[in-house]
Amino acid sequence: MSERQIELEVLRYRPEMDDKPFFQTYSVPCQEEWVVLDALNYVKDEMDRTLSYRWSCHMFVCGSCGMAINGEPKLACKAFLRDYQTKIRIEPLSNFPIERDLVIVQDDFIEKLESVKPYIIPKQEKPIDQGEYLQTPAQLKAYKQYSMCINCLLCYSACPQYALEEKFIGPAALALAHRYNMDSRDVGRSAREHVVASHDGIWACSFVGACSQVCPKDVDPAGAIQQVKFTSAVDYLTSFLPGGKR
Amino acid sequence: MSRKPYHREVSKTTWFLKQSRYQHYMLHEISSVFVAIYVGVLIVGLFRLAQGPEAWSGWLAAVTSPIGVIFHILVFIFSIIHTTSWFKAVPQAMRIQRGEEIVPGNLIIGAHYGVWAVVSVVVLLVAGVA
Amino acid sequence: MARSAKAVPWFLFAAGGTVIAFILPVMIFITGIAPAIGLFGDALSYETMHAFVGNWLIKLILLGIIVLAAWHAAHRLRVCAHDFGIRADGAVSIVVYGLAAIASAATVVALLMI
Repeated sequence: MSERQIELEVLRYRPEMDDKPFFQTYSVPCQEEWVVLDALNYVKDEMDRTLSYRWSCHMFVCGSCGMAINGEPKLACKAFLRDYQTKIRIEPLSNFPIERDLVIVQDDFIEKLESVKPYIIPKQEKPIDQGEYLQTPAQLKAYKQYSMCINCLLCYSACPQYALEEKFIGPAALALAHRYNMDSRDVGRSAREHVVASHDGIWACSFVGACSQVCPKDVDPAGAIQQVKFTSAVDYLTSFLPGGKR
Repeated sequence: MSRKPYHREVSKTTWFLKQSRYQHYMLHEISSVFVAIYVGVLIVGLFRLAQGPEAWSGWLAAVTSPIGVIFHILVFIFSIIHTTSWFKAVPQAMRIQRGEEIVPGNLIIGAHYGVWAVVSVVVLLVAGVA
Repeated sequence: MARSAKAVPWFLFAAGGTVIAFILPVMIFITGIAPAIGLFGDALSYETMHAFVGNWLIKLILLGIIVLAAWHAAHRLRVCAHDFGIRADGAVSIVVYGLAAIASAATVVALLMI
């Protein structure tokens, strides 16, 4: 195994003592097969215990270790050092306030996620002894891609419309609304519509498409939003016809 | 412990210079400026056509003047940018499911290019023959 | 939050974007580039063009293309204004959609005159 010396330029922000963030460079002896998260863990364990960042699973499942690596939103556990030069710049995900070092404030997203009712709203609740809600493989396929979201927030960090309009519900929350709308067991579309099809919902998206390009799980939030635009536009236009749903 | 989150500002006017994917986006958004002007040129052309042979040849002269030609080359380039970026996005906006399979995006894009070629040839034939 | 009326112009934007993606490059070539390089001989002469556009089917097709292109461009310009930092969305909407409406009406008038 070969070793490589990597210069990690990490954006630090310690709210109790700093007025603004600054870059601190760590020279880290790295193994060739490491990911950026391994290098950060080395810093934390061997060089500087004060460095703060979120991580958990180390295998692109938990969605905790999102950060801007050389300006690009990435999961630190999925960013292999072999794809980078000697110098790597690491910053907290853009478009979010910095809580401390690489830790961002997620409250805004959590509120927005709740607002789209990201859970199955069945036509009729049935007791457990009546069995499962059955679904065919084709019905599963209709929403499965959008259910892969791990709430890592890379899409929000890549989205310029979220950067410009913080009221925008944003890619992941809208894609998850679509995920439940597309679920054959769900009848909650009209209950989500007043948030999803509002000015700050799908209509604040201009289809830059950056969210889908950075998504580590290939959820394609941009595609989901355009599909919702189409169905919502049809709903809106037909609502003026006799018998249309208002 | 009290919190003191740090907010980073994003420029409302120059944000798109930061990343090449934003620049590509702005490029196809700006195509609308050229499409809008071209629509204006066409409408003027229709009025000139209605006004008679002299007015029409005036319009043709304007279109074939150096400025007219440069403008149309620009519109043409931006219309190609619009077409290619639009087709590229179609599979995302129009996801087609057949049974348990999603129709591959490249198939949808390819079909669009095929139709584009046919439409263009037909229009050229109609215009050339007319 | 209420459902947004942006659904209506978006529908025209999407329909127009699709139509002009197929038709506009070849149209620009015919009306703007071919005459300059002398292609098509006198296909663009007054007599042929007047007879061609005089056909009601051609009129209908041209009307559809021009109106959709105008509304497509108008909606995209509204988004563009926002992207360049102009936050007066209400005023911008009135201007761009107003221009699209005028363009649509003008096209109808011009085609009726031919």
